[in-house]
Amino acid sequence: MRGVIYMNEVPLSALPRGSRALVVSIRGGRGLVNRLMQMGITPGTIIEVIDNTAGPIMIKVRGVTIALGRGVASKIFVRPYPRIPYPY
Amino acid sequence: MIGKCSNCGLCSGRGGNVREGCDVIVAVAGQPNVGKSTLFNVLTGETARVANWPGVTVERKEGVREFRGKRICFIDLPGTYGISASSLEEVIAREYIVSGEPDLILVLVDSTAPERTLYLPIQILELTPNVIIALTKTDLAHGLGIHIHVDKLEAKLGVPVIATSAIKGIGIRELFEKIIEFATGRRRRQTPLRIDYGGLEPFISEMIRILKGSKALSNYPLRWAAIRLLEGDQRLEELMEKAGEGDILKQVYRVREAVKRSIGKDPVELIVAARYNFVDSIAREIIVRVERVEGGLSKFFENVLSKPIIGPLVGIAMLLAIMVLVFSINTGFPLNLILDSLGFSEAASLIESVSISGLINEGFNYLSDVVRNALEGGAPPWLTSLIADGIIPGVGSVLSFFPLILLIFVFLAMLEDSGIAPRLAISFHNFLSRFGFSGRAIYPLMISLGCNVPGVMASRTSIEDEERYEVIFSVPFIPCQARLIVTLAFITSLFTSPLTQSVAFIFIYVIGFTAFLITGYLIRRLLFRKIEPPELIIEIPTIHRPNWKVVWWISWDYSKHFLKKAGVIIFALSIVSWFLLSYGPSGLATDISESYGAYLGRVISPLLVPYGLSWESSWRVGYALINGFVAKEGLIEAIVLLQGGEVTFGEALRMLGLTTTQAYAILILMMLYVPCLATIAVIYQESRSVKLTLLAVIYMLVLAYVVSLIVYFILSIFV
Repeated sequence: MRGVIYMNEVPLSALPRGSRALVVSIRGGRGLVNRLMQMGITPGTIIEVIDNTAGPIMIKVRGVTIALGRGVASKIFVRPYPRIPYPY
Repeated sequence: MIGKCSNCGLCSGRGGNVREGCDVIVAVAGQPNVGKSTLFNVLTGETARVANWPGVTVERKEGVREFRGKRICFIDLPGTYGISASSLEEVIAREYIVSGEPDLILVLVDSTAPERTLYLPIQILELTPNVIIALTKTDLAHGLGIHIHVDKLEAKLGVPVIATSAIKGIGIRELFEKIIEFATGRRRRQTPLRIDYGGLEPFISEMIRILKGSKALSNYPLRWAAIRLLEGDQRLEELMEKAGEGDILKQVYRVREAVKRSIGKDPVELIVAARYNFVDSIAREIIVRVERVEGGLSKFFENVLSKPIIGPLVGIAMLLAIMVLVFSINTGFPLNLILDSLGFSEAASLIESVSISGLINEGFNYLSDVVRNALEGGAPPWLTSLIADGIIPGVGSVLSFFPLILLIFVFLAMLEDSGIAPRLAISFHNFLSRFGFSGRAIYPLMISLGCNVPGVMASRTSIEDEERYEVIFSVPFIPCQARLIVTLAFITSLFTSPLTQSVAFIFIYVIGFTAFLITGYLIRRLLFRKIEPPELIIEIPTIHRPNWKVVWWISWDYSKHFLKKAGVIIFALSIVSWFLLSYGPSGLATDISESYGAYLGRVISPLLVPYGLSWESSWRVGYALINGFVAKEGLIEAIVLLQGGEVTFGEALRMLGLTTTQAYAILILMMLYVPCLATIAVIYQESRSVKLTLLAVIYMLVLAYVVSLIVYFILSIFV
C-alpha cells in the first residue's frame, strides 16, 4: 500500500557514508520524480552513499556521482543493505 | 508547433521539409555533461550560429559542414535527461524530433558513464528509428577502465554506433561517413524500438486501441504515444484537449486509473523501471569495467573538495586566488598594493603601468589624439569630434573590456571543464540556500564578476523557475569588471594608505554581494512566497586536467556573447552620450555645461542634495550618473571631461569639491544603481516582461539611493 513506511524503509538522507541501499519509492511532485528517474534513480536501483556529512548528500548511482540537496534526499525512500563484514 | 516549416520561413520547396542549403539535417541530442557542445564544435567548426528556439529563451545552435559534396546541417537540441516533456527543453527536443525536419538524430552516449547515458538513446529510439549513436570521450573511458563493445551495441539496437573523441579527433570522419550513408538510405532499423513492458502490455494495447481514434497525435508513433500517455504526459494531453478530443482523453485517464487499481503502482514508475531494466540488460553485455587505481592531482582535488569543512574553504580560497590573479592582470590591483606594502614600490608601479586595461586605454587615447590632429582643419568640427570623442573611445571601451572578460571566462571554463565547478556548487549550497538560492547560483555569480550580461544569461542553469527569476534580478548587484575599474579609480584617488584603500575596496564588494543575497531572499519570500530553498540535484563529473581546446571553446563562446550583446549596445550608447555631451539647445556645445547632458544632470541634481552636495558639483555628479547608467566605465570619462578633459581622474574628482565621505557614498550609489543598459536589455530578454524589467530598474535605483545615503550619514558621524 502507498504511504506506509515499513520498518526497514528509510529516507536516503538518513543513510551513513559508505552504505548501500535499494531505492523503493520517490515521494514528491511529478516534476521531481520524473527528473530523478531520468537521472537513473528509479525504484529497484542500487544507490551507494559516498558522503553524507553536512550539506548535500553525494551518491553513486549507475556509475555516476550525483549530489542531492537534503530536501530531495529525504523524499527518496530506500531499503538499506546489511553491511557486509570484511573477512579480515 | 516548433520546427514546423511553415513557421520558420526558411523552407525550400524540396520535399517540404528540407531547408535551403541543407542536404542532410542532423539533430544532436545528449544528456547534460555528455560532451555535446564539445562534439558539436568539432562537427560544425566555426560555422555555428546561436539563436533561440521559436518563442522561448532556450538556446538553439546550428552549424553546417560540407562532406563528400553534401551539406550536412547540425541542429543542437537542448541538453535533457529524457524526452518525457517534464520541462520546456524536453518538449522542444521531442517536438523537433517528430517535426519531420531532421533526417536523423545523432544521440550522444558518454562512454565514461554509459549505464546512465544510454537511457536517452533508448527513449529516442522508441520514438524514431532514425538514430545514430556516438559514444563520446572514448579517450577518457579507457583511462577509467571502461570498455564498450561497439559492435555488440550496434547489433543490439540495430543502429550505427561510432566511438568518438572530440578532443583527440577520433571517429569524427567515420561519423560523417555514417551520416551520409544513413541519409542515402542505407539503414537497418525501419521501425521504432519496442521494449517489453511486461505486465503493462495489455494496458498498452488497450491504450493503442483508444488512440486510433485520435487525430491530434497523428505525428507520433501510436505505441509511443500510448506508453507516454500511460506515464502521463502533459503536452500530449494538452494537444488532445485543444483538438477537442476530450472524450478520448477521458478513456485514457480510465486506463491509467485501471493500472493503479490492478497493480497498485503509478504506471510511470513501472515504465521507467522497465526502460532502465532494458538499458541495464544491454549495459551488462556491452560494458566491461576494470578497477583502476587513480592518483595524482585529480585525486587530491577530489579528496580535498569533498571534505566537510575544508572543502568549502578550499573552494573559497580557489575563487579568491582566481579573482586576485585576474584583477591583477587586468588592473594591477591588488597585487600592486601587496607589493607596495612589502616595500617593492618599483615593482608595484610597473605592474600598474602594464595592466591590460591601462595599456588599451592609453593606446586608444593616443589613437584619438592622432586622428584629431589629422582631421583638425580639414574636416568639419562635428565630424572630428564624432570620430575622436565618440567612435574611437566607444570602440576602445568595448575592446578594453574584452580581454578582461575573456580572461575571467578562461578561468571559469577551467573550473567547469575540470569538474571542479559542480563541487563548488555543492560547497556553497548550504550557505546560498539560506538566501533562497541553490548551490547552482554560484555559476551566474562567478560569471557576473566578469560581466553581468552573461551572468544574467547564466540564470538559465537554474532548474526551478523561481530561482531563475531570483538570479536574473539579483545578479546585477555583483560588481563586474567595469565597476571594478571605477571603484579602483575612486579609491586610489580618495584614500592614501593601503589599509584604508583595502577596507574601502572590500566594503564595496561586501555591499554588492549582500545586495545580491538579500534581493534573492526577498524575491523568494515576498514575490513567490516560498519558504523552502530550491532543491539541488547536480551531477558530479570526475575531476580531470582541463583541456585547452574545451576551455577555449567555452570561454570564447561566453566572450562572443559579451561582444555581441554588450559590445553593440556600449558602442551605440557611446555615440549617444557623445551627442548628449557635445550638443546643446544651441547646437555644437563648446562648453559641457551647455550640453543636453548637463541639462539632464540638472534635472536629477535635486536628488543629490541629501548628500550635502553644492549645486555646482551636484549637476556634474548627476551628469556622470547618467553616463554610468549607460555603461559604468563612462563614469570615469565623464568626470574627467567635465573638468575639460586635460586632468587626471584624481584631479578631476578633487575639482568636483566632494569630501571623502561624499565621494565614497556616491561611489556606493554608482556601484548599485544599475550595472549598464546592456544588462537591462538582457534582463528584459530573459524575463520577457517589460513590467518586471522596469520594476527591477526601479528597485535597483531605490536600493542604491537608500543604501548610499545610509552609508553617507553613518560615515558623517565618524569622519
